Amino acid sequence: MSAPSGPDKCEPNLVPMLDMVLQLVMFFMVCANFVMEQVNETIQLPEAIAAKPLDPNATNIIFLNVNAAGEVLLSGLDVQGKGKDDNVLRNQVQVQQYMKRRFDEDVRRANGDKDKAKKSSLIIRADKTTPFEKVYAVMKGCQLAGYENCQLRAIRR
Amino acid sequence: MSKKHKPSTDFVEPDLPITPMLDMSFQLMAFFIFTFRPAPTEGQIAMSLPKQEGGESAIPSPTDEKPEVYVVRVEAASNGTISRIQLTKKDDIDTRPVELGADIAAYQKELQTRYAAIQGDKTKAKVTLEIQENLLQDYVVQLLDNGLRSGFTNIAPVPLDPKKR
Repeated sequence: MSAPSGPDKCEPNLVPMLDMVLQLVMFFMVCANFVMEQVNETIQLPEAIAAKPLDPNATNIIFLNVNAAGEVLLSGLDVQGKGKDDNVLRNQVQVQQYMKRRFDEDVRRANGDKDKAKKSSLIIRADKTTPFEKVYAVMKGCQLAGYENCQLRAIRR
Repeated sequence: MSKKHKPSTDFVEPDLPITPMLDMSFQLMAFFIFTFRPAPTEGQIAMSLPKQEGGESAIPSPTDEKPEVYVVRVEAASNGTISRIQLTKKDDIDTRPVELGADIAAYQKELQTRYAAIQGDKTKAKVTLEIQENLLQDYVVQLLDNGLRSGFTNIAPVPLDPKKR
């Protein structure tokens, strides 16, 4: 028996592999966590079975992140053009003043329709170790500012 | 006019270098795998805000049917956990509270019984949670969660101290 003449080139077909890899890349790109400006990831939320997903028809949603000390942490979107000290609301009076400004802004955006602004979805993302009095102070501040629809955020079990 | 013939060419197979593209794709994939962190699914717990003193909302309408109000008094231990739960029905002749200890399951069972007694009429029922100020948010959410799962939809958490409401 004689060896085959000339060197035979053995090339694996890489195209299906490339297709597969690109599909995986696409998957991870789509699932990647886009930076949610209004949500603070340092806050550890409590768990609840009855927690419902966000209403898709809700138009104006306001997130308020409350840390373990009961301070409201404002996101970059909320305090554009302001200093770092303006990022935290420390008591009910500060919350009320800030929310009143937002409420007036919402009324202006709704062409003076106060009822529409009142129905904005206010979502409080309070840390699970925050004492109730601190969370209640935030709720009360929002209520005194004019908002009516308040919900607590939790991780769905 | 003479007919022009195209010059005949040998068939050349285009050689597209796949390997560098595959390398790049692997790098991209590695990047996304390492930075991939699935976010936990979050949801909302519905609740009612306490009524404001005075103003329009405080004026009762003559056509309004009075709802049955259950008052749940929740006391907290110094570490922020539940130490005692009591349930009373507002405007009831029997004013003695039902003692539920520190057991959330017992609280849920009691609420389920009460809800069944009013034949599941959501408009008739209201739960007011009077919570001690130092109770942790984790337990507040558990109380709201169990209340909602019992069938009640109108649940309002308020501080135990009436002056702070």
